[in-house]
Amino acid sequence: MAASPPDNPADRGWSLRFLRNALLWLAPVWLVWTLLTPAYNRFLLGATENLLHLFESPDVTDLARHPSSRHEAYIVRRDFPPKRSLVRQLRVTDLHFHFVLLGSLFLAVPGLPWRKRLENFGLACLATVFFDLLLFAVWVKSVYATQLGDWSLAHYGPAARNLYGLAKHLLDLPFKLALPLLLWAGFYLGMLLGEPPPPPSPAARIQGTSRRKR
Amino acid sequence: MRRREITFLVLFVLLLGGSFALISYGWVNDHVIEPFTGLVAKTSGAVLNLLGQDVRMHGTILRGPRFAVNIRNGCNGVEAMLIFLSAVLAFPARWSSRLIGLVLGIVAIQLVNLIRVVALFLTGAYFPRFFDASHTVVWQTVVILFSVLLWIVWARRFAAPPEPAS
Repeated sequence: MAASPPDNPADRGWSLRFLRNALLWLAPVWLVWTLLTPAYNRFLLGATENLLHLFESPDVTDLARHPSSRHEAYIVRRDFPPKRSLVRQLRVTDLHFHFVLLGSLFLAVPGLPWRKRLENFGLACLATVFFDLLLFAVWVKSVYATQLGDWSLAHYGPAARNLYGLAKHLLDLPFKLALPLLLWAGFYLGMLLGEPPPPPSPAARIQGTSRRKR
Repeated sequence: MRRREITFLVLFVLLLGGSFALISYGWVNDHVIEPFTGLVAKTSGAVLNLLGQDVRMHGTILRGPRFAVNIRNGCNGVEAMLIFLSAVLAFPARWSSRLIGLVLGIVAIQLVNLIRVVALFLTGAYFPRFFDASHTVVWQTVVILFSVLLWIVWARRFAAPPEPAS
């Protein structure tokens, strides 16, 4: 099947098709996200733990899976007495439900060849994975800086406590929720602005020419 | 990426970060966000009473015979409103178009948020085991997706024409 050409930005039906596509994609994307969540939670726990260890000496933070829930995890500090070593329980799944928004928005763009749609979605997913790692690491550090009472006061100054608190507030609410929109705008804002699509790269032009020759 | 796209992205991030930093200040939270959340609770309580739930309201708390809920930041629609507001203000359009977008968008987002609060209360009352997932994942996604789609439709309709190439 031939790929359809990019839409004319002046096409009035574009918005309606985009809305329809976004709503139609919501359920399948949700299903895939639900199925992948346990594996992604395990990846986030391991990768964030390694990221935190880069800034710890000795390594004291463990991010442990909850024994009976695929969504929950514990922040464990090995340098705390055993009775207090489980410092916080958190719901890891809540960190990354923005993938549902991301998938619905990126797969809904009408009139774009599927290959390009998936390529852009893949890049956006990669950026989102890095964001999730940063969010999780800041989440853990904000727990250390602001939620462990006397221990937090003894180990983090007022500036650090405010910085980690604000960073967690900004990353966990506005930027986690707005990230799909931000990434979508990064790829597709030109379509809303009515600008012509950028010319293909020289490599793509050469590939296209040789294909036509064949 | 062209200049107008970069300008939009930078402005959007600055407005979003600035507005959320502003509402995290204690004074703004106590004098603007809390009363607004109280209003959301009152309206939601009124709708739930219309649905025969016999709900009593205490500030931001809704208490019924089967379930009680405290409406806090995250459930008052302010996040979705600020994302929408930042995107509308950052987008190149006429000020009159922005004003229309903001007024209609904020009203629409609050209507969807009202449906969210009422639906969550009913979920907690009748299907309590689905409440957590509905609260944190399902309805947050729905409300944010709604505001993003609203912005895309508005932007598509009201975008300023592209600057002529020099």
